[in-house]
Amino acid sequence: MSKTEAGARKGASSRPQKSGPRGRLARSNDRAYFLMAIPALLVYALFYLYPTLTNLRYAFSEWDGLQEAKFIGFKNFTRSLTNDDTFYKVLGNNIEFTGLVVIFQTALSLLFAIFLLKNTRASVALRTLYFFPTILSSVSVAMVWQFLYEPNLGPLNVFLNSIGLDFLALNWLGSETITLRAVAFTQVWFHTGQMMVVYIAGLQQIPQELYEAAEVDGATRWQQFKSVTWPMALPTTAVVMAYTTIQSFRAFDLIYAMTQGGPNNSSSILVTLIYLTAFNEYRFGYAATQSIYLIVFILVLTAIQRRLLRTRY
Amino acid sequence: MKKEMGAKTFKLMIAGLFAISATIVPVTASFAAGEALGTKCTTEGESTGTKSTSLVCKENKSGRLVWAKVKLSDSNLSPIKPLRAPRGSIEFWHWRAEDKAIFDKIIADFQDLNPGVKVTQVISNSSDYTNTALNKVQSNPKAAVVTTFRGSQFNQAATAGLLKDLSNEQFAKRNVIKSMMGAGQYKGKQLGIPYQSLFNNPVYNIEIFKKEGWKLPKKFSDWISYCKTAKAAGYVPMAWMGAFRPQALQIINSSLMNTASTDAQLNAQIAAIDTGKDAITIKWVKDMAEKYADLRDAGCFPDNPKGVTEAAGNTLFATGKSPILPTGSFSMGGIVKLNEKMDGNMGLTGFNFTDDVNARYTGITNNTFILGINSKAGRTEQRIARAFISYLVNGEVATAYANGTKQHVTVLDVEYTDSNLRNTASIMSERLVLAPRFTFLNQGVRDILEDALIAIVGGETVDKALEEGAKLIKQKLG
Amino acid sequence: MIYKVGRAFGLTLFSVLILIPVLVVVLGSFKGDLELMTKPLALPERWSFENYRNLLEGGQIANNFKNSTIVTLFSVLLTLFISSLASFGIARIIHVSGKVLLLLFTMGLAIPAATSIIGIYQLFVTLNLTNTLHGLVIINVASTLPISIFILSAFFRQIPTEIYESAAMDGAKPFRLYRSVALPLSRPSMGAVAIFLFVITWNDLLYPLLLITRSDLKTLPLALIDYRGEYAINFSMIFTAVMVASIPMVVMYLAMQKSFVSGLTAGAVKG
Repeated sequence: MSKTEAGARKGASSRPQKSGPRGRLARSNDRAYFLMAIPALLVYALFYLYPTLTNLRYAFSEWDGLQEAKFIGFKNFTRSLTNDDTFYKVLGNNIEFTGLVVIFQTALSLLFAIFLLKNTRASVALRTLYFFPTILSSVSVAMVWQFLYEPNLGPLNVFLNSIGLDFLALNWLGSETITLRAVAFTQVWFHTGQMMVVYIAGLQQIPQELYEAAEVDGATRWQQFKSVTWPMALPTTAVVMAYTTIQSFRAFDLIYAMTQGGPNNSSSILVTLIYLTAFNEYRFGYAATQSIYLIVFILVLTAIQRRLLRTRY
Repeated sequence: MKKEMGAKTFKLMIAGLFAISATIVPVTASFAAGEALGTKCTTEGESTGTKSTSLVCKENKSGRLVWAKVKLSDSNLSPIKPLRAPRGSIEFWHWRAEDKAIFDKIIADFQDLNPGVKVTQVISNSSDYTNTALNKVQSNPKAAVVTTFRGSQFNQAATAGLLKDLSNEQFAKRNVIKSMMGAGQYKGKQLGIPYQSLFNNPVYNIEIFKKEGWKLPKKFSDWISYCKTAKAAGYVPMAWMGAFRPQALQIINSSLMNTASTDAQLNAQIAAIDTGKDAITIKWVKDMAEKYADLRDAGCFPDNPKGVTEAAGNTLFATGKSPILPTGSFSMGGIVKLNEKMDGNMGLTGFNFTDDVNARYTGITNNTFILGINSKAGRTEQRIARAFISYLVNGEVATAYANGTKQHVTVLDVEYTDSNLRNTASIMSERLVLAPRFTFLNQGVRDILEDALIAIVGGETVDKALEEGAKLIKQKLG
Repeated sequence: MIYKVGRAFGLTLFSVLILIPVLVVVLGSFKGDLELMTKPLALPERWSFENYRNLLEGGQIANNFKNSTIVTLFSVLLTLFISSLASFGIARIIHVSGKVLLLLFTMGLAIPAATSIIGIYQLFVTLNLTNTLHGLVIINVASTLPISIFILSAFFRQIPTEIYESAAMDGAKPFRLYRSVALPLSRPSMGAVAIFLFVITWNDLLYPLLLITRSDLKTLPLALIDYRGEYAINFSMIFTAVMVASIPMVVMYLAMQKSFVSGLTAGAVKG
């Protein structure tokens, strides 16, 4: 029996068992397992999927959010692609922002997780410190960094000027070339600790024997990392990267509170653009279309990530 | 036709002057001892206050300036007493968190007057309010008193039929200054009461100007030379805050006000930009944008201008590092909070972007706060809302509001006691116009134009900034 | 050697990067605005509790704190229960429908909340769930299900099949497998998810902003937005509000972290 189930699970992805006593058992259990997912499915479908699907309805219309929506076919869709520089600019921003955040946040959180893996008193204290920003709300973080980044009176530039690094004292939130990166930096600062905790949870599940064995073989730290830590942590990396990607799209609160997407949309990402299109310009239909492009964009990104990481999902 | 425009201009001017003149009761009292109905006066537009009995200096039929009684309200009758409210509870939606305490007091009194009535304030911050309030109130039967911003939000609410018509309400005819009601009108109907009035003109540090022996700039070339002088003396000439568009572009009002020779033309040319008929590369916009480049080149703005936050700009001004805060009267309260010594040390001055000291306008006034009744609210709720608004436009209540919040109001029979409210004498002699910035009804278009101007201050060339902006507007409207 | 120097340098730099903003906020909450703007990094000239007194007056922030606690607690517990049940089911379903279910849920990850706020708002108005804390709990649960199921089902799949098999041989039914085999084994991962949910829910601004307008029902982040509106140019007050909102969280985190860390290190790997 046990072998049967193991075998069935292995083959599960491609082909369910169709006949015989083994298949019947699997199916009857399936029903019970499926029932377990029902409460989640109901809540999720009614309160999350359904409101999201209403986007589709509005994407084909001109709608100001107050009066009746007017059906206009694919006009919104073609317009975004053929006649909207802002859309492309923001799409580019989004790619840069997500790229920066995912790369730096994943790398840094893995690095710090390795640094702080052992449960020494100092490590635990530093973990606590690094995790600290995570417990703040996005609005607080935005306000604090807005204060720090102010170019003439802000502590960051005052400090840089005082140690003679004037050339580094940039116009952090007031420059079309730097602001997006400054915001990305804040986002990484904000969430690296959180991802580090995830990594620590993952890394601590790596059997210590593997390291011991590697050490016996005389492997250097870097070799140990390459041959043990990195491959063993891949599932965690997949989770961290997927989550960080989604999190970068959630940076709405942070960006909105810090720069409102400015100056001149240079720090706007798709979510802020959608929000402003809908609520600042009352173009709900067009915003709905942008949301659909956003969803497509994220799906493509996710697909690329999965391929790169070759996860098993 | 021409005459009509003149009359309209005159009316606007009177409106502005009235709001201000009420703020300088002692000054007026001191030099207008002899004022009496029909006697000679010297300064056109001078007034004795916003009482139902106030006098204004104007030209009579024979062309002489005399004190005349001006009908401030839409009626010859005196203001009405507050209406009674039926039992029930409503929500009062607004974004002015800083007014919460004084409204709490006003509401408590209102509830005492009307047993069984409860008014709850629902306050969000202004950007959230701009963004979501209309959507939220239309499906909320309790949200009976709704405030809207002048311009695009009010217009949005009006087109959607969200605001109840107040045209026939006695309080809308008899309690408020008629000429200041424009911001609440839509297609000839009074859909809201603009409650508060502001002065979007540069605030200056009186002490520094005195100490340095500077004169207040009266025309554009004065401003350019002021900037150069102030900069050479080690000041930041203007504490301009480019990171916060709403405040940074307060000066767009001043730069717009004289770009046309009549109000109708100004409105028409802004509407042409707004609807995409004209591109922002058109000459009048370009001329205006050149002025921003001139100011930039004269060193008027702080270093890294596009990154300066509101807090930093205010600090520059409050610490005396900058003698001019180019925002408006609404910033003065915050400045005093930052530095008590600034109390009584601030004046308001017009920002004339032309080289004609006799330009049509030399200053800006505005009402942001438009009180309205949500037509989608419940019937009883609407009646309570009506009573509540009639209570707010009562002279005594409005006096409490004005002095409590340190803001001017559009209500008749208000006594200003706060020193900051009266400390606006310097703008008395200006010719004021209702802030033209809010004539733009398409926020998306206005944002792009303003971003272009901010980019110019940040160092971009006029041509490039406007061309890029024009392209974006075309796409937005296309 | 290089590792040790690099480690020390990296850890120090990041510590400083976190400590400085924290210090600015902590010290700033005891300063006046002008002092904060002009000398942000200096010790306060005079330690003044005035900001705190002003802020705590009236007990409004205490009420916000209560609302946040209620909403977060119920949201996290409900999500954990529903999502672990579903994840376990999904991980165990042999039929292709298990994959379909997982895909359906993880697709939710691809839908940022901001894209569906109008739909959510209208639905909640229709169901009379606006301005209620349980409405907030419902949308929190619905919107955190995808991430929880995504993470938990990954963990459940990592549990070796042999462990279930021995229990199944003893005649354990699916729900008992979940309760007495899967749950105890997944304590560390559940702990991790709990921390996630806690942080997401506690920090969430979007849904409270959308659904709550009554000031007696506002959660902390929403209240912070109000303070920001009220003290836009008044950073010392904003920092004080950040302090008041964060101090209890820091304490809670420290308390939770102990069991979290020990839960991670204990048995899980060997099991």
